[in-house]
Amino acid sequence: MKRPGPLLTLLAGLLLGLFMLTLNTTSGTKTVSSKQGEASPSAPAKASQRPSATPTPTPTPSATPSKTPVANANYAGRTDDDAASVAVSVRDGKAVAYFCDGRYKEAWLRGPVDDDGTMKLTAPNGAVLDGKIQQGKKISGTVKDEGRPYTFTADKAVKPSGLWRATAKVRGAKIDGGWIVLPNGRQTGIVTRDGKATSAPRIDPETGAVTIDGQQLTAQPVTP
Amino acid sequence: MTADPNAATQSYPSRPPAPHHDSPARYLVPALVAAAVAVALGVYGKVHDPAGTAFNLAGFSSTSAVKSWLATTAFFFALVQVVSAFMVYGRLPGPSWSATLHRWSGRIAFLVAVPVAVHCLYAFGYQTYSTRVMWHSVLGCAFFGAFSAKMLLLRSERLPGWLLPLVGGLVFTALTLLWLTSALWFFRTFGVTT
Repeated sequence: MKRPGPLLTLLAGLLLGLFMLTLNTTSGTKTVSSKQGEASPSAPAKASQRPSATPTPTPTPSATPSKTPVANANYAGRTDDDAASVAVSVRDGKAVAYFCDGRYKEAWLRGPVDDDGTMKLTAPNGAVLDGKIQQGKKISGTVKDEGRPYTFTADKAVKPSGLWRATAKVRGAKIDGGWIVLPNGRQTGIVTRDGKATSAPRIDPETGAVTIDGQQLTAQPVTP
Repeated sequence: MTADPNAATQSYPSRPPAPHHDSPARYLVPALVAAAVAVALGVYGKVHDPAGTAFNLAGFSSTSAVKSWLATTAFFFALVQVVSAFMVYGRLPGPSWSATLHRWSGRIAFLVAVPVAVHCLYAFGYQTYSTRVMWHSVLGCAFFGAFSAKMLLLRSERLPGWLLPLVGGLVFTALTLLWLTSALWFFRTFGVTT
């Protein structure tokens, strides 16, 4: 006698798993949408040239079918003068970057990534990041913020290194925290309370948990 | 109350060990399948680029909360598994339907654990950045391998009497450690939240 029950159980689990996986890969955008109110000025224009910039996990660019797009990855590093941290998250031909000196200077920059790895990201405050992915291992480039150029190198980083963000309202004040976690564990972060920037407390790099003004918040990894 | 040795629901564990002159495939196939499942999950988790997030269920604050509660459900049914297994083996007094209870609580525990695993592998992948995370990754892959082996072994007859309890115990231990390194950690870190 062969019992079919155990096999049916395994089969049911397999089918359920595949079904959930299909749901995941086909459903909606994988963005941290609530934190992306401001769109960079250049993003919509470029997006229309690249109709393939949808968040499918296997990007097949229809506009430039002969080239392979850049791989999804996070990068994090310091400016050459060691004054600030820069982290870039690349997903499906788009990038979001955070430039932060940990005291008062910060910028969230967004824009498309060309297939050769070059990117020009812009921030609402006028900051511009020009960078190029070098062999998929690091990004070197320049951030121009308030008229001053900062050259930087950001190495490829894996979670929990990268960009983190937490937004909340604490006792009526709008809180916006941004962090860069470097591969060596070093953190650079700024909390903006109603537009005023100060140094941010450290986040727990495993969970993103952070206490700001007595309120426990959870920072999330940022993706474009 | 005397147990009927021929009762259909209790036949497989109480059979005496048979002489071992049959094919080793009975043990080899489940072992190889277990290894293949565990390695395949680990490789997928390592190779697949973690999406960072996946769909959520309505009514829960985060996918982590959903997963923690699903995992806790699975763990609850795993406890039922242990108790009902003792009943099936006659080590604890139990009702006549304890074998059915064992089968169905196991199925539910497994099916509830699958979405959790899918989310883990899809959103986070195989990670080793802390001790907790490393053990969770390793055990998560091992659990589904061990469970597959257990299911396949059930189809064989005249197994050595200690084999199913051993494999079942491994499955239970893996699930317990998985729960400790994820859901319990989540509840302790973020509070018992939905």
